[in-house]
Amino acid sequence: MKQILFATIFALLLIPAATHAAIDAEMEGMEAVSRDDGTFLVGGPTYQYDRILGAGGLHTESELWTPQKLRQRLLFNRMSILPSWNPIAPSVWIKTGNELGDMIYQDLITETDRPSNRTPIMEAGFRTPSFKGFWATARGFQDDHFSARTAATRKKWVDDEFSLFGENWPMFSTAYAGLGFTNDFVNTSILAGTEYLWLYTASSRWIPVHYSPRVEARIDIAGLFLTAAYEDAEYQNFQKKEKGNRKEWNGSALYSCGSLCKNGILDGSIGVAFRTVEDSGIVYTKLEDDFVLWPFAELIIKPTKRITAAANFGGNNKDWLVQDSIEYRAPAPQNAGATIGIKNISGTRLNPLADDAELYGKTTIDLTPSGQMNLLQSYMQFEDTLGFMSIGGRATLWAEYGAETFEPTEFIDDGPLTYRKGDVERINEWIKGLTGEIWLGLNYQEMFAFKALGGFERIEGPEERYEVEPSEFFTAFTGDWLFRKSFRISHSLRYRSDAEWNLRSENPFVVKGDWYWDMTVEQQFPKQGLFLTGTLIHALTDEAIQIPNGDYDRIRLVCTVKKTF
Amino acid sequence: MISLKKILVFCSLIFATFAMAAEPLTEPNPADVAFSHAFIGIEGGEIYPFGDLIDAVYNSKYGGFGFRYTYWEDFDGFVHFNYTYFKVRADGIPFPGVHQFIGRLGLDWKWKSIRPLALGAGFTCNWTRADTDDESISGRGGMLTDNETEFGYFFRGNLPFIRTENYQAGLNILWENLWTLPERSNMLSIGIYVERRLW
Repeated sequence: MKQILFATIFALLLIPAATHAAIDAEMEGMEAVSRDDGTFLVGGPTYQYDRILGAGGLHTESELWTPQKLRQRLLFNRMSILPSWNPIAPSVWIKTGNELGDMIYQDLITETDRPSNRTPIMEAGFRTPSFKGFWATARGFQDDHFSARTAATRKKWVDDEFSLFGENWPMFSTAYAGLGFTNDFVNTSILAGTEYLWLYTASSRWIPVHYSPRVEARIDIAGLFLTAAYEDAEYQNFQKKEKGNRKEWNGSALYSCGSLCKNGILDGSIGVAFRTVEDSGIVYTKLEDDFVLWPFAELIIKPTKRITAAANFGGNNKDWLVQDSIEYRAPAPQNAGATIGIKNISGTRLNPLADDAELYGKTTIDLTPSGQMNLLQSYMQFEDTLGFMSIGGRATLWAEYGAETFEPTEFIDDGPLTYRKGDVERINEWIKGLTGEIWLGLNYQEMFAFKALGGFERIEGPEERYEVEPSEFFTAFTGDWLFRKSFRISHSLRYRSDAEWNLRSENPFVVKGDWYWDMTVEQQFPKQGLFLTGTLIHALTDEAIQIPNGDYDRIRLVCTVKKTF
Repeated sequence: MISLKKILVFCSLIFATFAMAAEPLTEPNPADVAFSHAFIGIEGGEIYPFGDLIDAVYNSKYGGFGFRYTYWEDFDGFVHFNYTYFKVRADGIPFPGVHQFIGRLGLDWKWKSIRPLALGAGFTCNWTRADTDDESISGRGGMLTDNETEFGYFFRGNLPFIRTENYQAGLNILWENLWTLPERSNMLSIGIYVERRLW
């Protein structure tokens, strides 16, 4: 039966399709749920393991700080788009969804083996059209998925429902409102709101944080991008009668050469990011000296049309981080391309803005290993287009010395959850990796886009010391089509092989390989700016926990109505 | 694990629906047709739960309102909101009934070969809550004392039998399948509607 089902879905994928769009994320910042080009394991909206296969090294994408993430949120040691405080373009929207499998009337006749409660997702917001440049916005959003299994344990930490709505103890719940001004020269906004978050930390604990208020202001003017945020964060462990408070200022300033450099051989930017905190009571993490300042610069040089060299580097009195690459585009026939390049990442920390220690009772978990990491990577890529068909491939070879890992010294059980103590350390030996990806694309005008993609990775090294042993291979098929320029349907069918968490429990935690099928259906009314969208996520998949202390990844349906102005 | 058989049926029907939608149109731009006509309406009828739901609740009356609009020349879009009060049939449940609100979004295909009958499909969202203030109930029925929501899909036949310039009345026969656990839930609705043309 499963073969027939896959055959049917495969046939659906091949029906005429649209070239744009794909699966809509269930919430801004949760794109990893439907990604297929690596190992993506979701523990909930506030923690996602997102390792791109061709990126090289053992780290995940969100662990590595880059200047492009200046306006993302710092959740413990990860940069995260969610919960996003990026003002959305002028529109009004509402979103609701649920994990499938509530009983409803089955509840009246089901005596035994009763399924657990399924939980919703919800969002509503607006941004007004501009009135002489001025606009107003407000947004409330909350994701209750991935919360039911751990709620009974987590609720002991807090003295109320720890959310703006409902009693599911969701992993985050946010509401903000604000004003802005936008014209051809300046784009500025100030937002204020309140936010409940559960942070997944190195110890595998979910730490509750309540920001009230959180205020964020932004100004973009003449190549200068300024951001400042104030967060008054309440921490608590209700069961242990612990309380704490962190008042934090963070932000950044970035000057980008932008249009001034566009026609030259040199492009770049300079900037600085900072955090300063004032802690009282118990806040479960610590920032050394209560302050971090991170000056950085980016440089892109194109000495010829075929060579691009790029680098960004930053440093302060404690840490430094360099990321650079050089790429050569080989001569090729029209509609074809071949690129070879090398990349390097070196530094003392992947995220120099993150806290330096986690506090677990009287134990301090050191998050700043001594020494440095070095990642060297070479890659080559080719692509060719023959009419409606395109083919491409990419191969990389990488080696990393000093990769960050965790050295556990003790495991502690808390109901269904397991915590750990120890320190972040380094693997001071070379780890080597070889990756390959190949894809085939089919397109027909605006209606049709199909892509088949496959990839593998072979890693040599002390695998028992990897936090996560990534998937060895994946395959994915995506099909997007647009009927009569106003009805969109997108599919994504993919398989990922086993992944394994080695260091968060006594025995390895295996995430079994599985098939995933996502589908987005959208009625579009371009003239009216109206979009009615439904997305089915992770159909076919066995309900599974993807990270230690996480919750079940369930089939879910999310519906959105949006009217743009 | 989702029922593979039902997904297969669902996929096949979606396939058929959108294969029909792929037929070429004569209009230069479908977006110009959207909302060229719109109707509001009221509807009433009866819902017949079937399958294992027969042991859970009784057949019940429903009522509600809807909005229908031109999407393409040969397709209408519609939104329905209905209310039903289901009386409990199962023994040992400490409340008399369950409130249900339904929201539906779908498309009707006005296939010229079978006019005036139109065939439709779409998604449904059911919100339910037990008719009791007692939230301490455990075991059977306990989940319904808190809000319960579930999605599903439906297919329908829409047969207008009276048509004037500004009014339309017809018969709506609808089968819906809700993605509940441990089993999926099936219901059949038969109702009469009256619509008033807005523009």
